[in-house]
Amino acid sequence: MADNSASSGRLKYEAGFAREVYGMENGSYLKLCMQCGVCAVSCATFKIMDYSPRRLFALVRAGRKEEVMKSNTFWMCTTCLMCKARCPRGIPIVDVMHDLKGLALKQGYVNYPQAAFYQAFWQDLAGRGRIFEGGVTARYFLKRGPKDFGKIMAQKDVGLKMLSHGRLPLRPPKAVKGKKELMQMVAKARELEQKGAN
Amino acid sequence: MAKKIGVFICTGCSIGEALDTEALARVATKEKKIPLCKKNAFLCGRQGAELIKQDVVAEGLEAVVIAACSPRINYDVFDFGPSTIVERVNLREQVVWSHPADDEDTQAMAEDYLRMGITKAQASELPVPYLAENMVKSILVVGGGLAGLTAANEAALAGYRVVLVEKEPFLGGFAGRMYKSAPSRPPYTDLEDTPVAGLVADVEASPLIEVHTKTTVARIEGGPCLYDVTLEKDGQPSSFRAGAIVVATGARPYDAARLDRLGYGRYANVVTGVALEDMAREGKIQRPADGKPVQNAVFVLCAGSRDPGHLPYCSSSCCVESLKQALYLKEQNPDAGVYVIFKDIRTLGRYEEFYKKVQNEGVIFIKGEVTAVSEDGSRNLSVEFADLLLGERAEAAEVDLVVLATGMVPSTVDYAEQGAEDCPAGNVPTVQQPVLNLAYRQGPELPALNYGFPDSHFICFPYETRRTGIYAAGSVRAPMDLAAATEDATGAAMKAIQCVELTSRGAAVHPRVGDLSYPEFFMQRCTQCKRCTEECPFGAINEDEKANPLPNPTRCRRCGVCMGACPERIISFKNYSVPMIGNMIKAIDVPEEDEEKPRIVVFACENDAYPALDMAGLNHLGYNAWVRVIPVRCLGSMNLVWVADSLSKGIDGILLLGCKHGDDYQCHFIKGSELADIRLSKVAETLGRLQLEPDRVRMVQVNIMDYDKVPGILDDFAERLVEIGPNPYKGF
Amino acid sequence: MVNKSVLVVGAGISGLTAAIEAAETGFEVFLVEKEAYLGGRVARMNQYFPKLCPPNCGLEINFRRIRSEHNLRFLTSAEVVQVAGQEGDFTVAVRQNPRFVNENCTACNKCAEVCPVERSNEFNYDLDKTRAAYLPHSFAFPTRYVIDGKACLGEKCGKCVEACAYEAIELKMQAREVTLKVGAIVWATGWEPYDAGRISAYGFGRFPNVVTNVIMERLASPLGPTGGRIVRPSDGKEVQKVAFVQCAGSRDENHLPFCSSVCCLASLKQATYVLNANPGAQVAVYYIDIRALGKFEDFFAKVQLEPNVTLIKGKPGEILEDGQTGDVIVVAEDQLARKITQERYDLVVLATGMAPSAGAQVPLLGLDDRGFVAPDQVPGIYGAGCVKRPLDVASAVQDATSAALKAIQSTVRRQLNG
Repeated sequence: MADNSASSGRLKYEAGFAREVYGMENGSYLKLCMQCGVCAVSCATFKIMDYSPRRLFALVRAGRKEEVMKSNTFWMCTTCLMCKARCPRGIPIVDVMHDLKGLALKQGYVNYPQAAFYQAFWQDLAGRGRIFEGGVTARYFLKRGPKDFGKIMAQKDVGLKMLSHGRLPLRPPKAVKGKKELMQMVAKARELEQKGAN
Repeated sequence: MAKKIGVFICTGCSIGEALDTEALARVATKEKKIPLCKKNAFLCGRQGAELIKQDVVAEGLEAVVIAACSPRINYDVFDFGPSTIVERVNLREQVVWSHPADDEDTQAMAEDYLRMGITKAQASELPVPYLAENMVKSILVVGGGLAGLTAANEAALAGYRVVLVEKEPFLGGFAGRMYKSAPSRPPYTDLEDTPVAGLVADVEASPLIEVHTKTTVARIEGGPCLYDVTLEKDGQPSSFRAGAIVVATGARPYDAARLDRLGYGRYANVVTGVALEDMAREGKIQRPADGKPVQNAVFVLCAGSRDPGHLPYCSSSCCVESLKQALYLKEQNPDAGVYVIFKDIRTLGRYEEFYKKVQNEGVIFIKGEVTAVSEDGSRNLSVEFADLLLGERAEAAEVDLVVLATGMVPSTVDYAEQGAEDCPAGNVPTVQQPVLNLAYRQGPELPALNYGFPDSHFICFPYETRRTGIYAAGSVRAPMDLAAATEDATGAAMKAIQCVELTSRGAAVHPRVGDLSYPEFFMQRCTQCKRCTEECPFGAINEDEKANPLPNPTRCRRCGVCMGACPERIISFKNYSVPMIGNMIKAIDVPEEDEEKPRIVVFACENDAYPALDMAGLNHLGYNAWVRVIPVRCLGSMNLVWVADSLSKGIDGILLLGCKHGDDYQCHFIKGSELADIRLSKVAETLGRLQLEPDRVRMVQVNIMDYDKVPGILDDFAERLVEIGPNPYKGF
Repeated sequence: MVNKSVLVVGAGISGLTAAIEAAETGFEVFLVEKEAYLGGRVARMNQYFPKLCPPNCGLEINFRRIRSEHNLRFLTSAEVVQVAGQEGDFTVAVRQNPRFVNENCTACNKCAEVCPVERSNEFNYDLDKTRAAYLPHSFAFPTRYVIDGKACLGEKCGKCVEACAYEAIELKMQAREVTLKVGAIVWATGWEPYDAGRISAYGFGRFPNVVTNVIMERLASPLGPTGGRIVRPSDGKEVQKVAFVQCAGSRDENHLPFCSSVCCLASLKQATYVLNANPGAQVAVYYIDIRALGKFEDFFAKVQLEPNVTLIKGKPGEILEDGQTGDVIVVAEDQLARKITQERYDLVVLATGMAPSAGAQVPLLGLDDRGFVAPDQVPGIYGAGCVKRPLDVASAVQDATSAALKAIQSTVRRQLNG
């Protein structure tokens, strides 16, 4: 993997990362991107993304793995599908974003709040098939470690408001019916994912 | 012997209500002594037209003057066969629809127009077509590349004999060296074999095509249907006669040696697209420096093109050609890293789908500008560029091959040393390269537009040529790709065929198609001033050693520029001449000075200004009734003596309405309006000497859409004339 | 017996060219046009790029060529309904729709003066109205009026019949079928603007100040509904700030997957319309790639140098409307400046692309996956111009000239072989 902060101060194009991305389930669609930029402004969360999807794809092609993997772009994707609907090259951008999330988790690019939240959410969900907001929050902050504890208090007003509206249950909900089967499905999916990756 | 003329006045379309048609008829019968003058309320109706037809037969009319609507209308109704001269007097659009009814000035205008029309009919003769001996219809095609082969083959398929001349020992040209060509048919994603091999086989098998390789054109003289062509092969001349010529000598790649900035010439692994085709055709794309395989390659688009320091224009084909070549690399090594650095990807039309296909093969496209190419000790290249979308300086390292998509320069020019700027292709000094060796007074080759391409300047008429009967096709005419060259060559073959068909029956080609008249020279009075030979926009007139004009009627386009140029007025058409227009001017009834009714003669280009005047009428836009409009074939046919005729007749002002000239000229005869302007500038001095105000003569550029401005132009001029006061020569 | 005549379907610039070129070469030609006038789409253009010259200039020359060409006959308001036979011997059924005005018409305008009903003027893309008896446009050739059968009140009104002094109006006129025997056919039915309403994010049809490039041609034309004043459809205000959105439909798999070839230059040209009308105006062009081939590059370079023209690399995602002012807001990523922009404009012009318009469903006519006439389908039938692929005017004329030769070859081939 070429170091992009090479001494020349120039961005070195390197094809390895693009190949890695193209190898993902939907990654090869990226090849078709013609950099029109319609995704950049079709996205519901474009204002808070580090890079627009278009720019992210340009970075993938340039081989700038670190910048891509450490960006929040794919974590911010809300899967609203607007980009996919508008992409003139028919690229399923949402699915590409999903693949990138998977790649980030697999390769340990997890030290970002969004990654932590995704993990917390999933772990909470996978346990009983339902979400317990309190549980997600707790897991999230545990993952983030002491440095983010200060932010808990910043969120307290939101929490209290949700409490008063009955939107923040204090006790975890019951597991879904057929939890066992759910677990089997999750296990199977993991297995498939593992296979697909190799 | 005076001609037998009938005058027919239509009183429909409010002509009858607006004018005193009795008085009008008296102009014909009393003044002009035309016994046959009839009125009809609906002349273009079946009965009206029948009435004229009967009189033509019964009275043996040689000419009919139809005072009705514009000649642009009912042209088919008022067509009485090739042996009847028809003169249209435009009473509707240019008199009653643009001037008040029951008005003295309107009436005077109508009467003048009738006088002028009758005068013109009297002076007009039926043209006799120019037919020479030994006119031939075979087509000479110069250049045996894709365009030349196509033109030859297509002309032969229509049944015409063709002589195909190629300077190389083999046919095929530039496209013949290509490994594959870009997709030309659905689904527009797959590379195809080039059409060249098949074409060569067809051409060689055709009984109608005679192929001469290793041959050049040493000399061409004559004109359409009468070209005497001398070929030269191994120093041996041979000659034959041809009817029309297609020039398809192609383009040459831009001189990559000038692109040392991109490493060409310094590093063996920097190659041109042309060289890559050779490698691909031989089945081995490898590093030229050491024969090692190509793992990473960079295509640099616009290498020389779209670059003010080299070729300012876009070479049209390089984007698609490079996409195609990128696939060659992917075909050979699917894992190869292939980068294309571009300014804009120009994959027009269905090529967009090809672009997508090439992307899908993993070729990476970067909008960027290459700043440097360098080489390391292992002869790996590094390409530095500004990555425009990432906004950073970037580099592609360990590159095995850099392919420069060099643009194209027409084969009619060749590179020259700095300083020689005969014919600059962009900012590169070039000199004209002889291809045709025409024995023409105005030079041996096709005149070029920008950058040395002998293209047409007309959007509507891309085959318009300034050398009648000679049509450029393919990349010599304009930068284009294979598919476009094939179409272009087919179209050029069509025009060549059309030219020989028209010419062989004595008819003109575009834009006065079918015109049988041609200029005749009364040589006894020629002063060898050379104006006609110099000014003919089509180089139709040669000169002998004593500077006598030698007209080539089959090259003539019948614009009349020579007639306008001639100070001795020795050049005339049967139905268009200096005295004819002069007599029309003299037919105008000029009121006495104290009547305070100035008269203005307007010479209007019949292609644009005249229709604009019609449109003004159709929209009932009024304008000054002092004007008398005389349509001319081209403003370039305006002879200065008409200005003198007008002024000596007491006309107060002369206005010229012609097409836009300059770089974006709209004159259909290239420079007619410009020549008129130049002639007028000379008139100003003469007027000054005669104590006449130069303002009495004015030229305005109008186009067909300026119909709403034309009334203002006429009125302004009339106002200016009122300020100046009457022509002092009135009544002399 | 080989038929040496040629049928040309469609009398836009391609069909006109193919027909005239073949006729001038000496072949009998029938030209069939579905509108009431010749000229097609180019008759509705204000100027051509890069010369900025009026299309009517070239059309006038072409009409003059038709006037003096006895080999060419044309039918307006007519459509091909059936083609049978083979190269050298086609039988073509043509339906000529009633014009309700016969050749007696002198274009005196009396019928329009008395006509009591109005119709939407599709020549101006429905931006204005004409009477039901109307001249299609000022430069219409043939210069003859038409009555819109749908809008006309019929014989119960009959005011035009009374007003016409030349018995030119026949309200009872029926469609008639004409059978033509020809040796070859050139199909030149052209294109139609892609339906911009289908690009929902761009608001065409919902926001009045979002127009298409073809509408812009009419707005800029002195013969158009505004007399050449470029104004906002919502309130007639002169425009100060205009955006052009390239590839509105083209290069887009949701719409037209191909490039329409002309829109870049058309927008650059229209930028000059805006600046000529108002030198202080601001123009922005949002693009993916600027495609100015060959010498068109010079025109691109010239317009690019205009201080009031800005090129923005980035395809807009969305166009919004300010309901209060009617202003339209273009949301795009300015890729070179690396920022998201939301700019407010008086008018947005969508550079909508060319969809092929093959016209009648004629089975012998081979169409490709996108509806273009495919190459080399049936011997004797040749596509020409934009029904084959998107083309600029000069290229369409070239293509049509080559199609004319193909048609001629068809008649010759049959003669040689048959």
